Amino acid sequence: MTLPILPATVVGSYSMPGWLERLKTEYLARRISRRDLDEIHDTAVKAAIKDQEVAGIDVITDGELRRDNMIDYFVERLPGVQVDHASKKFYYDFYDSKVLGKLPVAPLGLVEDYKFLRANTEGESKFCITGPHSLSKRIRNEHYPSEEEFAIDLARVMNPELKALAKAGARFIQIDEPYYSGFPEDLAWGVKALNALVDGVDAKIAVHICYGNRYGKPSWEGSYRYLLPGILDAHVHQLTLEFARRGGEDLELFRELPARFELGIGVIDVKTQSIETPELVAERLRKALTVIPAERLFVLPDCGCLHLPRDIAFSKLCAMVEGTRLVRKELKN
Amino acid sequence: MILQLNHLERKPASITAQEVVDTLYSLLEEGHLEQDQFAQLRVHLDWIQYRQNFRECVTAAKVTSEHHERLFPIEMHIDTRQVTPGCLHDAISKTMLNSEGQATAEQDGLILEDFRSFRDSIAWGFNRLYWHRLPDWEQFTGRSYQQALPGGKSDANHPAAIADCVADFWTLLRDLDSRKQLPEELFILEIGVGMGTRSGLWLDRFRALDQERGTKYYPRVRFLLGDYSLSTLERSRPAVREHIDLCSFIVLDALNPLKNLAFLRHKILHIHLTNVYDNLPDEEIARRDGRLYAVQVRAYVSSADAQRIAKKFEIPMAEIARTVNRLLEGGPDYLADRRRGLAFWQQIWNSMRLEERLVNLDDLPESSLPEGLSQSHLEEVLREAPSDVRFHLSSGALESFRNTLPLLYPRGFLQVQDIFVTNFNEYRLGFHGPGKLDGSIVNWVNGALLREVGERAGYDVHFAPFHYRKGSKTSILYTTQRE
Repeated sequence: MTLPILPATVVGSYSMPGWLERLKTEYLARRISRRDLDEIHDTAVKAAIKDQEVAGIDVITDGELRRDNMIDYFVERLPGVQVDHASKKFYYDFYDSKVLGKLPVAPLGLVEDYKFLRANTEGESKFCITGPHSLSKRIRNEHYPSEEEFAIDLARVMNPELKALAKAGARFIQIDEPYYSGFPEDLAWGVKALNALVDGVDAKIAVHICYGNRYGKPSWEGSYRYLLPGILDAHVHQLTLEFARRGGEDLELFRELPARFELGIGVIDVKTQSIETPELVAERLRKALTVIPAERLFVLPDCGCLHLPRDIAFSKLCAMVEGTRLVRKELKN
Repeated sequence: MILQLNHLERKPASITAQEVVDTLYSLLEEGHLEQDQFAQLRVHLDWIQYRQNFRECVTAAKVTSEHHERLFPIEMHIDTRQVTPGCLHDAISKTMLNSEGQATAEQDGLILEDFRSFRDSIAWGFNRLYWHRLPDWEQFTGRSYQQALPGGKSDANHPAAIADCVADFWTLLRDLDSRKQLPEELFILEIGVGMGTRSGLWLDRFRALDQERGTKYYPRVRFLLGDYSLSTLERSRPAVREHIDLCSFIVLDALNPLKNLAFLRHKILHIHLTNVYDNLPDEEIARRDGRLYAVQVRAYVSSADAQRIAKKFEIPMAEIARTVNRLLEGGPDYLADRRRGLAFWQQIWNSMRLEERLVNLDDLPESSLPEGLSQSHLEEVLREAPSDVRFHLSSGALESFRNTLPLLYPRGFLQVQDIFVTNFNEYRLGFHGPGKLDGSIVNWVNGALLREVGERAGYDVHFAPFHYRKGSKTSILYTTQRE
């Protein structure tokens, strides 16, 4: 993977257009066909890829525009998870889902979506997966003796798909685990499940931990203090964290982050529509550079841009890239 | 013709329905009503509980096309409470015969404004003036606002309701505390504090509970009292004097609290409002035969009332509309003698009626809907509603609601005590405003719509009847974080 210093990337989702929200909901109400929706998704993903490329993002994603939300995309693919399809009326709601028996292993169909992304960009790309801890918080467990065992078995059945992704060329995979922040007491087993998920996966692995972005608002508050030292047991290469909205106070906690970890730092607040200036982004980066060396620093928004209008999301990404370029220039000099 | 009974008062409904049917058939037989008109006509029988309101006994709404040509009335509203024996034949005939293009007000009244959405009507100018000059109005009428309320007092300060609210808040704090997610400063916001009575009672109760349970949360409280004017906030100080070190007084617009409090985005644990939403600018939408129409209004005073007022105040008829505008801009002092100004204000207000027309929503820009509600979302919401229904858009309440939610801390909650319609069916079972309450406007709030908008913003919206006072019409809206 050839990347510039301070690579700029995204957390995963890109702005969900209002028209796509309507069409997804139309599909739910059986007013348009799956085939039509697939075509619509392809078109939307291509547009999201193009926007990221034009904004100058170094590592792009498919914008996660095929996903109703971070849970249902996986819930519908996991064999053995029962989904009540009548349980939501708006696409972004969560399905009611439950697991009644041991989960079988079967392909999840993520590779096809990754291949579509690869086929439509020549740049570096990243594929994002919701982690087993977060999934275990949303799928009702009526089989496993504990949440921990459920999460670890989710990891077991998802691991082959991650390996298949790596085999298909995915060199950078991000695991999303925002629910760690809501349930800090779960961290030890959450990390165990994360390790089971990425075991033997030949790719660069990041874990994204924020304070939630459901409906564009935080689900929890607190301090990243809870992550240490437990998160250091995670078999990942990068921690991707939210700093722009919450201020950079927690940055200090990562001063002693072992050299095997990179830090992805959120420099764009995705919960407000005001657009950061490149100077503000640069200032946030300079602050981060006092804590961690440039070689181990990635630049991102705090979380996905799902809830931002497209023009705002695009402008924010442009500002992020511009601010990053300012700092790169300073580093070069 | 469809006759729709929108209330549950049996006697006035049955008498009026009979007379309406007789009258319309007579008009048909006499050739005053075309069969096409008859076929499209909807007659609504309402029962308006507000003695002071904006309706004549019979009012008609015409559909207006894209080019604003007036078509014949498709809706006729009859207030069965105003019906007197034998009055309907003449009133309906007059309304229906007046279908050649001329509106009722043009033939028989003094028009005070052009057609517009109700939220932009001068009726709200009167409402604003009332709140700004409340002491003058109360002195003039010899009656306080509280006395004008249906129960003679406000439910806002009910001790048991406040105690329950405090208990809910304390439980939230304890829960967050146990998860180590309790912030150092505990922000609480009351919007529309009035005399500050509720805020004072709330703080008294919270201090007592905190002491009783030994949790030491009280000193961490930051209580924000918000209202539209500094003078109102000043009047609220004495009520919270025992807690003054924990209080901040903030001038804010209830329509957009976020504007002044952006620095507290995602930081406020509890926000409360009482009887604010029902007094924010509003408008109505009607769905007829699958089409959505905006209800536009224009204020007028009947010719007889206008002549009476002109004579009494020695103002030429042609000058009345201008005088009304000056009154709204400058207050009652504009008429030189304040008492005279107050009397003029009261007379105009009491006489003011609203004429209506329906404009196809497709002919209006989408921006005419409140922010956060697109036409497609509205249509989606209405899939579950009765096919023909007229309802409040509650634009001001929606705007306020949308601009308040982002202030909430994760797991924080909003409580709104007000009069809510919680289901679209209720619009077919009773009248929900606008009415006049003393010098102000009273309008029920479309809670069903708030619930939908809340869901899209990440909050489940629930309604609990205000069970603390028997016969109370108010409910308590409260939010929970949507997963």
